[in-house]
Amino acid sequence: MKAVLIFSIMTLRMLFRRRTPWGILVGVLIALVAIAQVPGFSVENQGRFVLDFGLFGIEIGALVLALGLGANLFPRDREQRTVMPLVAVPLARWQYLLGRFLGAAMVQASALVVSCLGLMAILLLRGIPVPGDLFPATLLIVVEGWFLLATVFFFSFFASPPLNWPLTTILFVLSQMSVRDFVALAPESPGLMRGIRMLLPHADVFHIKDPLAHGFDVSPQFFLLAVFYGLCYTAFMLSLALSVFRSRDLK
Amino acid sequence: MVSDSPVSVEHLSRSFQTKAGLKKVEAVKDVSFTVESGEILGFLGHNGAGKTTTMKCVLGLLRPTSGRVRLWGLAPGSASVRARMGYVPENPDYDDSFSGLELLRAFGSMRGLSGTDPDWRRLLGRVGLQGWENARLRQFSKGMKQRLSLALALQSQPDLLVMDEPTGGLDPIARKEFRDVILEENARGASILLSSHLLSEVESVVHRVVILNRGKAVRAGTLDQLLGGEETHRITYLEEDNHREMTVPSQDLQESIDMLRGRGFSVIGVDRSWKSLEEVFLAATEVRE
Repeated sequence: MKAVLIFSIMTLRMLFRRRTPWGILVGVLIALVAIAQVPGFSVENQGRFVLDFGLFGIEIGALVLALGLGANLFPRDREQRTVMPLVAVPLARWQYLLGRFLGAAMVQASALVVSCLGLMAILLLRGIPVPGDLFPATLLIVVEGWFLLATVFFFSFFASPPLNWPLTTILFVLSQMSVRDFVALAPESPGLMRGIRMLLPHADVFHIKDPLAHGFDVSPQFFLLAVFYGLCYTAFMLSLALSVFRSRDLK
Repeated sequence: MVSDSPVSVEHLSRSFQTKAGLKKVEAVKDVSFTVESGEILGFLGHNGAGKTTTMKCVLGLLRPTSGRVRLWGLAPGSASVRARMGYVPENPDYDDSFSGLELLRAFGSMRGLSGTDPDWRRLLGRVGLQGWENARLRQFSKGMKQRLSLALALQSQPDLLVMDEPTGGLDPIARKEFRDVILEENARGASILLSSHLLSEVESVVHRVVILNRGKAVRAGTLDQLLGGEETHRITYLEEDNHREMTVPSQDLQESIDMLRGRGFSVIGVDRSWKSLEEVFLAATEVRE
């Protein structure tokens, strides 16, 4: 496991030295500032609006970070052949995959936490009370981001980056849909649609922005189960990614 | 039977589909060879002969279509095998935001080595990178990356070095330094699988040679077997006051001298000459063209 940790720190340093995470973070922060400028609300309603859309902006940031950080990692390693000396000698394939994932996941989580602090600062500057569950809500978005990152990794082993973006985005959109919305896509075969929906991830478990915006509490049990669910799905997607990677030749 | 040779390749074949998937290209066909303990095996062939494909099968980066590769009797890619290996890839590349020292530190830690910064600085000095320890790789030339790649391969004092065209981007002085390092490592006890199309440098370091042509092993043997069996003599003679030379197989030497004298030429010198590996290589590959 030591090799994985060292490789994940190498990946973290490599990604921090690139412009991608910084660019996305700046984009998210600008979006948060813009959301806070929307006029025409009372203080209470503006608080709900900023929280609701602010957390939605951070969630979109998680998706863009997953794609921006993960979609190009393996394809670039393969094209530049940096993967060859790594996988030939110091690392097994699972160590390479896990190291790259953990490094990217740490960068993604850092950017999302900074975004959350940015949202908090905007709320304070606007004189809107900061709800106590803002950090747990962000943590759930971080977990959702890891699931998305694992999905991006999975696709990256057989799809090019330009194809990875729509594939992951489609999965992201589908995972947000309720069973009823899903059945409405093909009402003539509701059983089939329910079955497909069961197989797809349920990203709605990560969204506590609505109760948060309306001042409802979220139980710790729900929070812990949502984190557990997200981590299990992340592990599942990484296992799928590893099985594809193991079956791949490095030409 | 399980072979304990550092490298044992048996009837290795590997084919690829073309991009359109319509055609199958056989990159390596039924190749067998071993690298014994303490041996340097030269792996020769033109570009596209199948050397790199074979190397990648040995490293576990490619799966054979048929045949078997074993390193010390184990499957390539297993942890215990990787721990005993060093690999110098063709045209190596690493993330260019790191320095050489950072990479050595990271690779050393990933491999569980106990080396410290002074050890890694010494190693960088050994491959000619003293003064460049903290420079980012984006400042490195192709040859410097090649040297760094050698340092990374030597870091664990491996029992087996797999080197794929290691001197491709190097100038003649650096090539000589590389050859010296190869010989030093071999003297330490390392077995070496060295692929190259630069015959002159292979000739000066290897014990045995396998010549690949269009994916097939067309000649194999020790240098003595390949070169000694081809002993020739060069005859210098005068033809109307002009110096002329002819090279003949040694067994035909007396007959050739008699023939020249019979035609009225004066034989003024006879030298023993050996075929170079290049001549053996060209003959082996031309025959099969």
